[in-house]
Amino acid sequence: MLSIFLEHDSPFLGVDFQLPIGTLSAIVGPSGSGKTSVLRAVAGLLTTERSRVSFDEDIWSNTGARCFRPAYQRPLGFVSQTFGLFPHLTAAENVGAALTHLRRRERSREAQNCLDIVGIGGLADRRPNELSGGQSQRVAMARALARKPRLLLLDEPFSALDHSTRKRLRVELKRLQDALAMTVLFVTHDLDEAAELSETLVLLRRGKVIQQGPTRELLRRPSTVEAARLMNFVNLAKAKWAGSDASGITLHWGDVLLTAAKGPKSQPDDTIHWTIRTSDVFLVKDNHPNESSLGTILPAKVVEVIEMGSSALVSVIVNNSGGEVLRLQLRPGALHRHHLSKGSSVKIALHAQAMVLLDPSDASLSANRAKSKL
Amino acid sequence: MAGVPLIAAAASIRPALEEISTRYNEVTGESVRLVFGSSGTLANQIANGAPYVLFLSANTAYVRWLAGLGLTQGPPVTYAEGVLALYSRSGLLGETENPLMALDSALQHGVVKRLVIANPEYAPYGSAARAALEHAGSWTRARPVLLLGANAGQAVQYALQGDVDVALVPLPLARLAKLQETGQLQVLPKETFPSVELHQQMVLLPGADQKTHEFFAYLQSIDSQEIFRRHGLLVPSPVNLTLQP
Amino acid sequence: MDWNAFHLSLQLAAWTLVLLLPIGIVTGRWLAKTQTRARPWLQAFFALPLVLPPTVVGYYLLVFTGTRSPIGEFIMSWFGVSLVFSFPGLVVASILVNLPFAILPVQRAFEAVSNELHDAAACCGMTPWQTFTRIEMPLAWPGVLSAAVLTLGHTLGEFGVVLMVGGNIPGETRTLSIAIFDRVQAFDPLAAGRMAGFLLLISLVTVALGYGVLERRGQQRQKSA
Repeated sequence: MLSIFLEHDSPFLGVDFQLPIGTLSAIVGPSGSGKTSVLRAVAGLLTTERSRVSFDEDIWSNTGARCFRPAYQRPLGFVSQTFGLFPHLTAAENVGAALTHLRRRERSREAQNCLDIVGIGGLADRRPNELSGGQSQRVAMARALARKPRLLLLDEPFSALDHSTRKRLRVELKRLQDALAMTVLFVTHDLDEAAELSETLVLLRRGKVIQQGPTRELLRRPSTVEAARLMNFVNLAKAKWAGSDASGITLHWGDVLLTAAKGPKSQPDDTIHWTIRTSDVFLVKDNHPNESSLGTILPAKVVEVIEMGSSALVSVIVNNSGGEVLRLQLRPGALHRHHLSKGSSVKIALHAQAMVLLDPSDASLSANRAKSKL
Repeated sequence: MAGVPLIAAAASIRPALEEISTRYNEVTGESVRLVFGSSGTLANQIANGAPYVLFLSANTAYVRWLAGLGLTQGPPVTYAEGVLALYSRSGLLGETENPLMALDSALQHGVVKRLVIANPEYAPYGSAARAALEHAGSWTRARPVLLLGANAGQAVQYALQGDVDVALVPLPLARLAKLQETGQLQVLPKETFPSVELHQQMVLLPGADQKTHEFFAYLQSIDSQEIFRRHGLLVPSPVNLTLQP
Repeated sequence: MDWNAFHLSLQLAAWTLVLLLPIGIVTGRWLAKTQTRARPWLQAFFALPLVLPPTVVGYYLLVFTGTRSPIGEFIMSWFGVSLVFSFPGLVVASILVNLPFAILPVQRAFEAVSNELHDAAACCGMTPWQTFTRIEMPLAWPGVLSAAVLTLGHTLGEFGVVLMVGGNIPGETRTLSIAIFDRVQAFDPLAAGRMAGFLLLISLVTVALGYGVLERRGQQRQKSA
């Protein structure tokens, strides 16, 4: 377990979570969320007022015990956003900077090795100002891996690169991590990138963990309204909790009755927030039977259609639901097949399994933590 | 260089003292190191711990001051008397028996653009110059055109620049700088600056060794007096009566 | 040509450089990296000699370290040296007056070594000392060289503070610049002119050499780009 507990008053930081060892984890958050601070604190480059950071049994910092191991004594590799290559050294010498414990000949051999692993063995004698963005990133990576660290930390590793290089390097990172079975923790503001690469995801906002857990699960089921917003769930609606039984939770959404498969067994407060992915809202053709396996069928009116290249976003208002807009994703072909336009009457289906009930506030944070600890 | 006596002397006696020390070296084979400056500056340096072993001032006031601070060794000796000269640019004052009066008149007519003296605050010759001007009633008129030299030597330096009209400087230095070639050089008798004396006093300082004592004695010898006189200073001997500018 | 005076000037320049450069490096680097709120005050303090006339510095040194001052007496009784009218005194004065020349360029050079590089070095396992010798110094040495050249040139020409603190003692504190002044006072403009020309030449060559090295290094970097 990589255990991270950090507290700081100003700027505010208050996180306490654990990550599994040997996998790729990502911390995602908007700028100012503190994600870089968390990374730097784990690296030992930053001190917070209170901290407890440990990697398995290795305690790296514990303010309670007045213990703090500086960065250069932690077995980790670090790649910053703009790579931090030493401008006066060649690529091989840059990697060699992490191998000062070796003698010169061994050092250059090992450095060449590392460069080969990341695929740029032929650039050993080039200087950083002679390397492209992608090449620089690989040198930085090679340097970070040179000491065979237990933990690899990456701060927005791909944000300084162009789109195609980014895609290529993401694959390579995944490949590397698989091959070396390292623990990797990277920080990014790009949710898609995190979704692609990580097995564990930590959502950070304003110095606090909003939600944390296995990536796929998190992306499908945000736990709070805040998490849903962070993950760009556009459908956020309010309903009244109306009861729970074997089949699930019943909700009154305006005058409409909805069923959600998972949710709290009791709700002290009447109102409950819910969300559903735009790709989980289905358009139902007219000649479908009503009680179908697609879920609750509801009549609605289209209020907006936006076509965007490979997909279309349709906004509808379900009849008698209280006026909240629901959005669904369609392929442009389907759009034309259904002859949809503003004002059209349609039928949509909301499946109980796809309904995600949300906790409104952070009061549920501790409950969340208990749920998502592995 | 240790062991060679370090002697501080007023800038105004530079030419005389340099010649004396050369002669001394010819006669005895011994040498001394000479440092020149305005008497006031040197006295200050001594008060701040300068390693001089003998001090030749251009007046008595600074010697007395140092003695009062307990920084001297033995009684002071008057080795000569300074002579103040008035230099004026060719044709400025014309033939005159009373140069100060002629100067006053010139000042009144506004023909004097620049008048150089050593700084009265710490150079004895400057003090004397000021006293002379005050006594002649020209001080207030002279002030706007005054140029002050940090010591008598610098005053003469300034006088050598083309656009200085009048300078009140020590005679020895004026002659060394050949001021008489560019204008008129006239001696100002003691009476013209009654409140100021230019008794050149010298005194031994703590740290004076045998060699210093010997040079100190030599400075009072007939040889030295002759040299002082040749350079335009008055010497306290019954023989001296005439002055040759 | 007063060779004695020239040797004194050289010695003064050499001693000042040898003693001041380490001070400049340590202070310049500390100023570059510190977060203390007193930083602007400290920078102003070290830049003071730039603004103060050398004679003022000389004056304060005379008053506070002269043989009649408590500091002067202390130093005399403990080390047997006087800090005024002596060569050691000149070195002290010279160091003080040259502080801004030695600190400023070094500070700028270390400031230019970004925090990112520091972080990278630490995460490479480099101790602070290794970071300093392998990363910071190689990147900052042009600044150190600048400081050295400026200090050297400035010391060769120093006058005001040398005159105040050192007097004009031949063989002891009569540096070349003082000797020139002395020759002028002795109505010997020829000798003064000769020495002045010589000093000018030496200073020019020294500074030109320094800048030449810096120039070449800059070109090297450019070529490999």
